[in-house]
Amino acid sequence: MPGNQKIQRYIYKTSGVCPAEIHLRVHEEILEDLCFVGGGCPGNSILVSRLLKGRCLPEIPELLRGIDCRQGTSCPDQLEQALTGIQNGTLQPADTFRTDVDTRKLDRVCLIGDLAGNSLALVDLLESAAGTAPDAFYCLGNLTGNSPQNEEVIRILKKKGVQAIQGEADWQYVQGTTPADWPKMSWKTRDYLTRVPQLLRFDLAGKKAIAFYGKYLQDLEGYSDYDPYSLELNMICGLSNFMQDESVFPALEAMTPQFDADLILFGQAGKWGHWHIGGKDIVAVGPAWDGHRLYFCLLNADGGTVQLKTTRLKPKREICPAK
Amino acid sequence: MAESVKVLPEDIQQLIDVYEWDMRTREGVQRFRELKAKSLPTVALDGDLMYESQIPMQEELAEEIRLRYHQKNMDGNHAS
Repeated sequence: MPGNQKIQRYIYKTSGVCPAEIHLRVHEEILEDLCFVGGGCPGNSILVSRLLKGRCLPEIPELLRGIDCRQGTSCPDQLEQALTGIQNGTLQPADTFRTDVDTRKLDRVCLIGDLAGNSLALVDLLESAAGTAPDAFYCLGNLTGNSPQNEEVIRILKKKGVQAIQGEADWQYVQGTTPADWPKMSWKTRDYLTRVPQLLRFDLAGKKAIAFYGKYLQDLEGYSDYDPYSLELNMICGLSNFMQDESVFPALEAMTPQFDADLILFGQAGKWGHWHIGGKDIVAVGPAWDGHRLYFCLLNADGGTVQLKTTRLKPKREICPAK
Repeated sequence: MAESVKVLPEDIQQLIDVYEWDMRTREGVQRFRELKAKSLPTVALDGDLMYESQIPMQEELAEEIRLRYHQKNMDGNHAS
């Protein structure tokens, strides 16, 4: 059992019962919260949660032991196994994706898409976009790529205070799984990439917004379909194939009332786009450089309506494309 | 939509296995795409998309299930 002071979140994958997972929050051996998710009877699970919340972990298993429902197990039995796992350390705290919250008051945000380690493109974009006087600069990743300019990109982002979001290539650098022929990265830069959020929460003129790169988040260890914003991720990355499959838009619209976010930005589509579906705004942030032109976008929500103004630029200098 | 299946008469329930996919999950999305469905809710019978965006009348659904059951049995008899 970890001995630190913070609340730990655990996700236990069940077997043989209706709920697919049990989510637990534990603080100093006290069960702070408990939730059976993915099926089963919600009323009973809420009752169990209320009865067990605030109890000390070691005293709970005897309340659960010997209850059979089906296939030789039950929700209480699965919960007992989860608690045992927490206590003996075989169930580790959940750590899906890092989420940061930008608490600034934002009305206008400048969006920069996939840089793929192109520092010259970044310099030109930031110089040009500064004239639009945004409240914040967001770069949705990939920040890095198969490029000798990766370190310079990170240096500029830090220096200019650009809020970066980790892309798949950045994650691969963090994990050390980039292809062997990609440039090496310094520990410092890699450390920076490790701490870059994988999902950013912010409010744009009162609209609840999230920004992320794409599908790799679904592949992260511990990813749960029931985590905050997983629904948006599953619908954008999986159902709509990054909004490229218009045939499923009716289904997407049917799911939007369950979204937590009003505005969803993602970077993996490879092109720019803006859709208004079911009262939600969905924005694909395209690449920063397409080999001919540079792109950035100003996002604002004047009068409650999300507007996207994309600017295409001729580079001021010769841009060396990433390999 | 799932309720319309669950409330089918007992004689129909005995003919079928019911699977429900949660569209919030990756597994549900995958199944939705496999069926080439477009909207919700959706009912498929034997992997064939039958009802989209509409809840079928109980009699209509029961009749379709009976029909398929008899066709399968007929096929089975022919095969034997």
